[in-house]
Amino acid sequence: MSNGIKKESSFGIAHVILFISIAVLCIFVAWPVLLILFNAFFVNGSFNSSDFYAVLTEPETFQALLNSLFIASMTTIGSTIVGTFFAWLVTRTDLPYKKFMKGLFLVPFMLPSFIGALAWKMLLSPNSGYINTFLMDLFGLQEPVFNIYTYMGISAVEVMYLFPFVFIQVCGALERMDPTLEESARISGAGLFTITRKITIPLVLPSIMSGALLIMLYSMAHFGTVAVLGIENGIYNIPTLIYEKIHQSGGSFESIRTGTVLSTVLVVTAAAIIWAQQKILSKGHYQIIGGKSFRPMELKLRGLRYPLLFACLAYIGFTIVLPTVVIFMVGGVSTYGLPLTWENMSLDNYKYILFDYEVTKDAIINSVSLGLVAALITMFAGVMISYVIVKMKVKGKGILEFLGMLPFSVPGSVIALGVILAWSGQFGINLYNTVWIILVAYIARYMAFSLKANSAALEQVHDSLMEASRSCGASMWQSLKDIVIPLVRPGMISAFFLIFLPALRELTVSIMLYAPTTRTIGVAIYTLNEDGETVMSTALAGIALILIVVGQTLINHFTKKAGE
Amino acid sequence: MKKLGYVAVAALALMSLLVGGCGSDKKADTASGNKLIVYTSMKENLIRGIVDGFKKANPGIEVDYQSAGAGKLMAKIAAERQSGKILADVIWTSEVPDFYKMKMDGILENYKSPVYKECVNPFDDYDGSFHAARLGTLGIIVNTDKIKNAPTQWSDLLKPEYKNKFGIANPALSGTSYMSVALLAKQFGWDYFYKLKANGARIGKGSGQVIDDTASGELYASLAVDYITHGKIEKGAHIKMCYPPELLVVPSPVAIFKDSTKKDAAKKFVDYLLGKEAQTQVAKQGTIPVREDVALPNKHFDLLKPVLAWKKAMKVNFTEAVKTKENTIKKFTEILQVKK
Repeated sequence: MSNGIKKESSFGIAHVILFISIAVLCIFVAWPVLLILFNAFFVNGSFNSSDFYAVLTEPETFQALLNSLFIASMTTIGSTIVGTFFAWLVTRTDLPYKKFMKGLFLVPFMLPSFIGALAWKMLLSPNSGYINTFLMDLFGLQEPVFNIYTYMGISAVEVMYLFPFVFIQVCGALERMDPTLEESARISGAGLFTITRKITIPLVLPSIMSGALLIMLYSMAHFGTVAVLGIENGIYNIPTLIYEKIHQSGGSFESIRTGTVLSTVLVVTAAAIIWAQQKILSKGHYQIIGGKSFRPMELKLRGLRYPLLFACLAYIGFTIVLPTVVIFMVGGVSTYGLPLTWENMSLDNYKYILFDYEVTKDAIINSVSLGLVAALITMFAGVMISYVIVKMKVKGKGILEFLGMLPFSVPGSVIALGVILAWSGQFGINLYNTVWIILVAYIARYMAFSLKANSAALEQVHDSLMEASRSCGASMWQSLKDIVIPLVRPGMISAFFLIFLPALRELTVSIMLYAPTTRTIGVAIYTLNEDGETVMSTALAGIALILIVVGQTLINHFTKKAGE
Repeated sequence: MKKLGYVAVAALALMSLLVGGCGSDKKADTASGNKLIVYTSMKENLIRGIVDGFKKANPGIEVDYQSAGAGKLMAKIAAERQSGKILADVIWTSEVPDFYKMKMDGILENYKSPVYKECVNPFDDYDGSFHAARLGTLGIIVNTDKIKNAPTQWSDLLKPEYKNKFGIANPALSGTSYMSVALLAKQFGWDYFYKLKANGARIGKGSGQVIDDTASGELYASLAVDYITHGKIEKGAHIKMCYPPELLVVPSPVAIFKDSTKKDAAKKFVDYLLGKEAQTQVAKQGTIPVREDVALPNKHFDLLKPVLAWKKAMKVNFTEAVKTKENTIKKFTEILQVKK
């Protein structure tokens, strides 16, 4: 549409892009966060730090912060190891059925972690978990073997369903990496260990770190798993504490203010983590796509090929198939606690959930449309903003760089509180109790995902490509359209899925924002479960899983076509 | 270029999908504009029948309800009050102090239902701000596979057979649980909770969760609401309800919000809820109605008639309970929460 744009107008475009980028970040992210900070420190318009201090010095606040950090650290370490190992296995070795296995490792991404937590609760709760009672019967034990209601249990469950964050990033980096670097090292006589240490790891480290960072921030602000597995044992993290505080409110604003104070703590912690990560990463900066593509060299696994394949399959079987089967089976019994035998099973719950329970249809429509809209908006906004941050050299970029950091440091539960403060009428626009408030929150929440995926893709596009195009006389828009966009399209598409699928089963944000007609799938499942309708909630979870898997498969098929 | 075309088509397809999706959401929003909205902590199986009956008796009035724990509903109302408009027209939960609080805040409509004089009124200071629409009871439920001798006294829970196996729903989430804690603390002192803690008592989640956990054998016993237990036994759960002599009775008040734009419909709903038809439905689900003229099913466990139940119930000064609510929850959490 803009082939006619002349060279000098590129300045204009740059500024329009910059302006829109700043506006988007301000409206969706900065404004709600500012309101949180404002409400944390100001009571009725005057500064008040004593309340802030009072909440902060509560031992439970401190404990919740420690718990958040501890669980997030364990989850991050676990996921990074698991994700990197599997990524290496499917990209750089001759593991059999690699392509299939790669697809398989993305499956955990489809299983919402709180549904996983529900399943593991049924499998491993100390007195009644199916695995525990099975083992206790088998060996005549008096004490349960596993207890899922522990820090270890929570972190393990989170690792199972969050490691794809690292896996996807590292896979991408390993695939795109220029193998000539490794080859030249090899030719110069370096051994495999040296190559890995000196070439491969430094090259993929940014991807590993960015995946790990996503997990760290995600886990620290993660509601579902801790809510399902932790609360009963007194393990709270900040989001579950906010949730609980708000529910003690008895209708007053005080507890919402307590929530804003806790949110501030979370934001500051997240910012500190990001700052630390930036410090570490700023040492090495690599542009690893040189515009050429090679097939990377593969490591021969030899005798380990099939044992490793078997280990991978066992891992998937244990973390995905087993919980899924339990979900579907428990969804079939008439009331929770009955043994899982055929005579106790029926399709009645599924029938009820599908046809009689009115919330189901609403929830599915809400989640799907919210996911699509949020993913599309965020994808385009993300590519625009990251372009300005990564590639452009214009005045005012500094503001954007600062604003661009915000989405990373603002966890979901904070965003939820922020949008309540921002969009519920005090400032002229009242979105409360509509789907729009959830949409606004989703956009803010997933902006970080989009920025991450897009800027990772953009960073790897060498400046020389753009410069070459510009020096050949192409306009700014032309070189964007013909050079940059095609190169970052994988980044954009991956941003779309990084947003759409999580949004489909989002819980942390929607649990704070839903109204009777705006329940999302996650909320519907969680509230059913919390209200003690265990079998109904698992039946709905089963239906949601089918929906997610079908959706994912369709989309994969579709984008494969579009991407080729 | 061809690739870009595909992407454009994909984007278009998605766009049209979501415009359609959002369009229908919008319709739902405006539709809820004419609907009477009831916020209630009653579970699906109880509220659904009543709402259906009300719709049948009052054709033309659309009703929607949100069933969630009392704590959650009050949090919603808190946020909605901030936003300037409470979405709900009617609220019906079991957290009595919340109603006193809302009355003090002046957000409840004063309506003296003509039907109420036929009912049992547990509130000495009844003034039309809210009406009791159910007398919920809580008892000790046990898993019948694990516990052979059902408990008869509150002190039985301190026995070793319940070590680490007794649970109470989180009073921050569940109104009935909060009221029970307040009543038990008044009757037996906090000392009782310290002893419970010493015997490894656990905080569960919602009032329904602890029952499912008891049915599964994760807990051997829990403090449970009558009609939820009734519903689970009906479906075959291996649990049994036991009532100690100091009875836990929690009135469930219903009120209309002053801001409601559908006050006539709301009043009709309150009248209907207190009437014989709805109260029969209440009793049928296994909880105590507020009318003496309604028969009790007493199928899985014995419920008392409302007047007698209220006479035997442990009492608490509700106005005082408003002031001490936060402290009660805090104290309870302090005692029972596992310290790591």
